[in-house]
Amino acid sequence: MSRMLTRKLLPVRNILPPVTKRASHVHRQRYDVIVVGGGHAGTEAAAAAARVGAETLLVTQKTHTIGALSCNPSLGGVGKGHLVREIDALDGLCGRAGDWAGIHFSILNRRKGPAVWGPRAQLDRQRYREFIQAELLSTPRLEVLEGSVEELLVTDPNPEEPGRHRVTGIRLANGSRPISASSVVLTTGTFLSGSLFVGHTVSPGGRIGDAPSSTGLSQTLRERLGLRVGRLRTGTPPRVLKDSVDLSLAKLHPPDSHPTPFSFMNTRTRCKPEEQLPCYLTYTTPGVERVVRESLHLNCHIQQDAKGPRYCPSIESRVLRFPGRRHQVWLEPEGMTSDLLYPQGLSMTMPPDVQLRLIREIPAMHRAEIHTPGYGVQYDYVCPTQLSPALQVKNTQGLFLAGQINGTTGYEEAAAQGLWAGVNAARWARSLPPAGLSRTESYIGVLIDDLVSRGVNEPYRMFTSRAEFRTSLRPDNADLRLTQKGSLLGCVSSARRDEFLRVKLRLQDAEAALRALTLSPAGWRKMMPGISVSESKNGTLSGMDLLQYKDVSFEMLASLFPEQLSPHIEFSERLKIEAVYKPHCDLSKREVERIQKEENMSLPQDLDYFSLPVSLSKEVREILDRFRPSTLGAATRLEGMTPAAVVNLLNYVQIAERKERMMNRSNAGQQEGRGEDLCARNASLPQ
Amino acid sequence: MRVTVYLFSGRNVPLCRRLSSGDGVLAGLADADTIFALSSGHGRCGVAVVRISGPAATTALRCMVGLRKHLPPPRTALLRSITDPHSKEVLDRGLVLWFPAPHSFTGEDSVEFHIHGGPAVITAVLQALGSVPGMRPAEAGEFTRRAFHAGKLDLTEVEGLGDLIHAETEAQRRQALRQMSGDLGRLYQDWSHRLKRCLAHVEAFIDFSEDELIEDGVLDRVDISVCDLQAEINQHLKDERRGERLRSGVHVVIAGATNAGKSSLLNTLCQRPAAIVSPIAGTTRDVVETALDIGGFPVLLSDTAGLRDSPDLVEQEGVRRARERCLLVLNKTDLLPEAQREQLSLGLRGTSGLPPVCLISCQTSEGLKDFLTVCADPLSGAPTLTQARHRAHLQQCAAALAQYWRYRDSDLALAAEGVRLALTGLGRITGRVGAEEILDIIFKDFCIGK
Repeated sequence: MSRMLTRKLLPVRNILPPVTKRASHVHRQRYDVIVVGGGHAGTEAAAAAARVGAETLLVTQKTHTIGALSCNPSLGGVGKGHLVREIDALDGLCGRAGDWAGIHFSILNRRKGPAVWGPRAQLDRQRYREFIQAELLSTPRLEVLEGSVEELLVTDPNPEEPGRHRVTGIRLANGSRPISASSVVLTTGTFLSGSLFVGHTVSPGGRIGDAPSSTGLSQTLRERLGLRVGRLRTGTPPRVLKDSVDLSLAKLHPPDSHPTPFSFMNTRTRCKPEEQLPCYLTYTTPGVERVVRESLHLNCHIQQDAKGPRYCPSIESRVLRFPGRRHQVWLEPEGMTSDLLYPQGLSMTMPPDVQLRLIREIPAMHRAEIHTPGYGVQYDYVCPTQLSPALQVKNTQGLFLAGQINGTTGYEEAAAQGLWAGVNAARWARSLPPAGLSRTESYIGVLIDDLVSRGVNEPYRMFTSRAEFRTSLRPDNADLRLTQKGSLLGCVSSARRDEFLRVKLRLQDAEAALRALTLSPAGWRKMMPGISVSESKNGTLSGMDLLQYKDVSFEMLASLFPEQLSPHIEFSERLKIEAVYKPHCDLSKREVERIQKEENMSLPQDLDYFSLPVSLSKEVREILDRFRPSTLGAATRLEGMTPAAVVNLLNYVQIAERKERMMNRSNAGQQEGRGEDLCARNASLPQ
Repeated sequence: MRVTVYLFSGRNVPLCRRLSSGDGVLAGLADADTIFALSSGHGRCGVAVVRISGPAATTALRCMVGLRKHLPPPRTALLRSITDPHSKEVLDRGLVLWFPAPHSFTGEDSVEFHIHGGPAVITAVLQALGSVPGMRPAEAGEFTRRAFHAGKLDLTEVEGLGDLIHAETEAQRRQALRQMSGDLGRLYQDWSHRLKRCLAHVEAFIDFSEDELIEDGVLDRVDISVCDLQAEINQHLKDERRGERLRSGVHVVIAGATNAGKSSLLNTLCQRPAAIVSPIAGTTRDVVETALDIGGFPVLLSDTAGLRDSPDLVEQEGVRRARERCLLVLNKTDLLPEAQREQLSLGLRGTSGLPPVCLISCQTSEGLKDFLTVCADPLSGAPTLTQARHRAHLQQCAAALAQYWRYRDSDLALAAEGVRLALTGLGRITGRVGAEEILDIIFKDFCIGK
């Protein structure tokens, strides 16, 4: 078994080695990359930066909360599962962590088509944290430091480049010496000016039980760097004692009988199929609505006007927006041995005694006890249109942001940004050009492009409907889309690269074998009675064509042609999916190429759109100045852009590029060895 | 001010216009599509040039000019019959030129048809081209853009490109607005709205139904909706009346009492003395017809002898019907004192039930500009499906809806893709629909709680 559950199946050390180091114990005074925050964004960022080759330091308030699941005990889902698969294809942590910690696996949307399958798992909180911590500790070039960041160190703007700061490092709260770095990745989650809300009580903080972060960071971002910030809110439900819930009154929801791992490197999950735990489904009652209405005056989170997500609303906003309906409540296990249940859908911020009254209105919880009450959080986010597609703050060289600080919600969204910010922070530190991910090749690209070119006005969550090339961006082919790119960037281990190459070659062989099987429609009909094979234009149909039919499986073909096809049975599902989707992907290929070309034409970030000697209307100049698109492609997608304006910009890029080329020619000789075609985002027009 | 001049607007000549889709601004950048368009100006002209550029240009040449075996010598004009590739009906006889890549304006394989300039001929040729596989109507400025990308233009020429596209899109935007306010616009908007809801409901079912309370009936309602839309669009595409509309053109009759200045108006509009004018009532004895271009639309203008009361019942009915579609023009405003003129225009504005009214003076040209603007409006209204661009996009839309059914039960992602493509096709007429708009509908219609 060359593809076992990876080396990570070794038991995680029960007592983790002491990871805490005081500032004075930091091994070096200078790092390539410092990552602030140990959540989903921070851990992926630190691990990715270290994989790419940067000396990396992760700073977090409490090392033992690294990898904590602050809210729901689950990973993946529709859209989010796509992100997990892509993160895994780039050798990120969360997919493998999910396979390690999952206790209930299911593929959502199983009957709706492979492009929208949503791999999902309930997680054991403790196991997840263990895996992430063990992984970080065993990552070379990565150090972890416990401490609170007091200040972000940035230079004054360079007079040559007005408005351009450069990050130089951080200073910790205990007044120690500064730690310098070329790049800093901020992944502060809900801690940026965070406030916690329960009933009438408001206290500073980003998560219950954790100290609030210092105000220094927030100040630097706002006042020193002049970044626009907005305010968002979110919430979490109370945790309920399992023993106090009458689960016989809820509907049992079993997991898949055969768990499907998230990771391309795993063929099985740690949790055995029969060990999996079920979830339970129950519903709200009119009593719930009554309690919400009666307690509105006690609920100051719900009265505030910070923007909350429409799709993960508190029970308060659900019953207020859609009165008179019953709403679903999922009761989810928190871990293999945990005595708590997580009531998904009951996020609430009323006073704890009212929370108890509310949940007891639900029959299955009529005697339930609350372990920890639900609460709301309001926090600052930095308007993400101020970032480049590498997630770097446009006016501050070396400063990268990822996760909720960019206005997103969800573990998977945070992890995806973290990984990409980590890769780019490392590249910046090593003076390599930024790496981009197109929305035509990945959900991560869609996520980042939506953030930096359109901004957010409510917490951003991934949906499959956001991806215009959904038929080609599938969970099954995330490795084919991304692993090679990750390998060129250096963020993929050799083991994964080898496995990827093996799979890719085998898939090609299998497809060739299928294409080589050609028969006339009549011939196929004879071999497969019951399948209505249609006539084809050129007289014959290949095995690949046949596989497009609804009722034809690869196994059926393999039983007819065992010699040619049985060696490929390992990939039967992937081949079937590829055969069905290929014609549709080919159709959108041209559109994909067009977008990719536009995305390769970069617009300088310091362009003064108001004085640009190009024929543009005042409205267009204002739009461009406000959003500062990084590429022509992003500019095209802005609302209010006209075709004429885009062509004029294109013209400008062309002239600027020619000038640059001429200047380069005059001081030639230093541009050698930049084999970074893949990542070059310099202006380049198709000739 | 005794005289009323009626302008009767007859049927409209729809012209095949290139309209920008509003999205895909640089469409054509990487496209291997073959594009075609009327390259000479719109309006009536002696010779019209239809340009085709892209890989399928030779296909068009072969199947429409009867050059099955050999392509014509490059860059040489040949006189040929141009036929419809399917019906083989001869559409026109004209010059055909073949410019193989890279020696063409766009740098791609190009073909030019120099045909007779009548709108019926032009539209017939454009429609025939649209039926050749791999061909689509060009977007605004697309030929120039392709030339630019092929390195055929120098930078100073490109400077003008933005302005050119701006001018075209500006004209098209106005045209689109005009169309969109009409019945057809309402129809397309309604389809677009219904398709948006269909897509939103399928998307909601895909993205949320596993965790949320999304009733099973949602897809059934989408089925009904898609079915209705398909039927309506196909019916619309089958519109048999379009040919007739095409050939009839816009007939405008200047009618009114004798000596109201009908012939003066005709001459003013033609900017030449087409009709004899004199202060003597009844100078015009015969119908004087002149073709001209008002607001970009070809118009056949007829000057008549004065309007009279006829005892003939049929003629009375004709006059009654004509009056329903008329423009009221009050001439000789120069003869009125200023104060009275203002009083009159105020009074007219306050009177309901009147057709659009213009106060003009053929003598001083006062009010003529406003008159032309008002004139162009009813002329250009009520566009028909003969707009080749609309037809192409609606056909795409109908074909995409068929994909919904093909995958409805086996793969909802591909079924949704069908609805999405349909909406994109329609969006090229009514304006782009973004992902956020779909999400807005989802969150309005469903309580998504997870």
